Parts: sequence; structure tokens; C-alpha cells
Amino acid sequence: MAATPRMELEKMSVEHLRGLKEQVDMEVNLLQDSLNNLRSANSRLEIASAALHDLSVRPRGKKMLVPLTASLYVPGKLDDAEKVLVDVGTGYFIEKTMVEGKDYCERKIALLKSNYDQLLEVTAKKRSIADEAGAILQAKLKQLAPSQ
Amino acid sequence: MAAIKELTRDLENKANDFRKLEKDIQKNQQVKKKYTIQLGENELVLKELDLLNEDTNVYKLIGPVLVKQDLAEANANVRKRIEYISAELKRLDSTLQDLQEKLNSKQESIAKLQQRIQALQAGKAKA
Repeated sequence: MAATPRMELEKMSVEHLRGLKEQVDMEVNLLQDSLNNLRSANSRLEIASAALHDLSVRPRGKKMLVPLTASLYVPGKLDDAEKVLVDVGTGYFIEKTMVEGKDYCERKIALLKSNYDQLLEVTAKKRSIADEAGAILQAKLKQLAPSQ
Repeated sequence: MAAIKELTRDLENKANDFRKLEKDIQKNQQVKKKYTIQLGENELVLKELDLLNEDTNVYKLIGPVLVKQDLAEANANVRKRIEYISAELKRLDSTLQDLQEKLNSKQESIAKLQQRIQALQAGKAKA
């Protein structure tokens, strides 16, 4: 299975190989960007989940500082932490209980993790093709050079 | 001599057409990408909405205002949006196919033209 693509690559001309390697390199970069995006989205969700867990153990009426802007906080008291508003996308917010909210976070984190793993596999495969193409390209160039 | 000039001009025109087709294909793919992302997001929202009880409160962000929405209405809106986006994507797909075909045939006629020009130039050089 791994031998056949290598033979295909061996058959190609230097030009063709170079073009192919460039294209696959670009694809690997794009995939890497997606992987990074997934990782940062995942860490945001983890932070949200941690915040939820923290809120759930705070008593009602607990004093807190509420952010109004990035640099302005006002003192306030914690109201009912049993209800939370969840941003589910495209401008929709759903009122959920604390338990449902935590569950939502867990579900999303699991989904992102599985997407991340799938993408990692695909990226690894593409990267190995790029590496092979590069190696064969080097070999061919070396073959051409001494004959000149 | 004049024939070569004419053919060269024709080649330039065809090359311009080719580049324009390539740009159109690129734009098409960008729009398709945007719509695909929106479709994915909307489908996620629909899944979440489907999990809710009838009495759950749903709110929609319209500008800076969070407005309470009826669950049935929210469901209907999201479904309609998904339908619309899917239709748009199908339309874009067929446009893309169309553009690809035009691109390929343009490439063929450019290649043929280049061959003719080369042949004429070779003939001239001999004469």
C-alpha cells in the first residue's frame, strides 16, 4: 500500500514533483492552521466549563465583581446560578440549568476532541506524502547534477 | 506575418478569458466555503434545539438585543435557513462545474492556438 504511491512519485518528472510537493506543503499548512484553531476553540470551551463549575459552588448572594467593559468592573451579588444562557451559534441562546450547561460544555469539548484527532490523522498522512515527495525530489536532483 | 499577429492577438484574448474564468472559480469557491461553514453552524443549532423540552426558553440575538423566541418559531427559522443555504450550495456547485468545463475547453483552444502559431513561425523561419 505504501509502496505504490512511492513508485508513482518516482515516475514523475522533477517539474511535476516540485509542483506536487508545493501543493501538498500548502495543504499541510492549511491543515495545521485548522488544527491550531481547533486547539484554541477547545481551550476556550475548557475555560467556560471551569467557570461553570466554579459558579455552581458559589452560594447565592455571594459578592462579586461584574465586568462591564474590558477595564471596568462593578461590584454585584450573585443571583440564581441554577440557570445559565448558552450561546449555541448563529445568534441563538438557550436557557439551560446548571447541569445541562455543564453537560453542553462536556459534549462540545468531546466533539472538538474527536474532530481534532481525525484532522491530526489526515495531517500526518499528508505530511508523510510531502516528505516522500521531497526526498525523491532531492534524489532526482542529485542524479541530474553529477551527469552535468 | 499578418496571420501570426492575428493569432497572437487571439491568443492574448483567450489568455485573458482564461484568467477571468480562474478568478471566477476562486470567488465561487470562497462563497461556497462561507456557506458550508454557515450550514454546519446552523445544523449544530438545530441539533441543540431538538434536544430541548417544549417549555425551554430560547433567545435570539438581534443586534444588541436579546429577544425571547418561541421554540417552534426558532426551529422553523433554523430549518428554513438550512434549506436556503443547501439550495444556494447546490446552485454554486452547478455553476462551478460549468466554469470548470469552460476553463478546460479554453485551455484546449489556447494549446491548439499556440501550436498553430509555433508551426507558422517555424515555417517562416525556414522560408
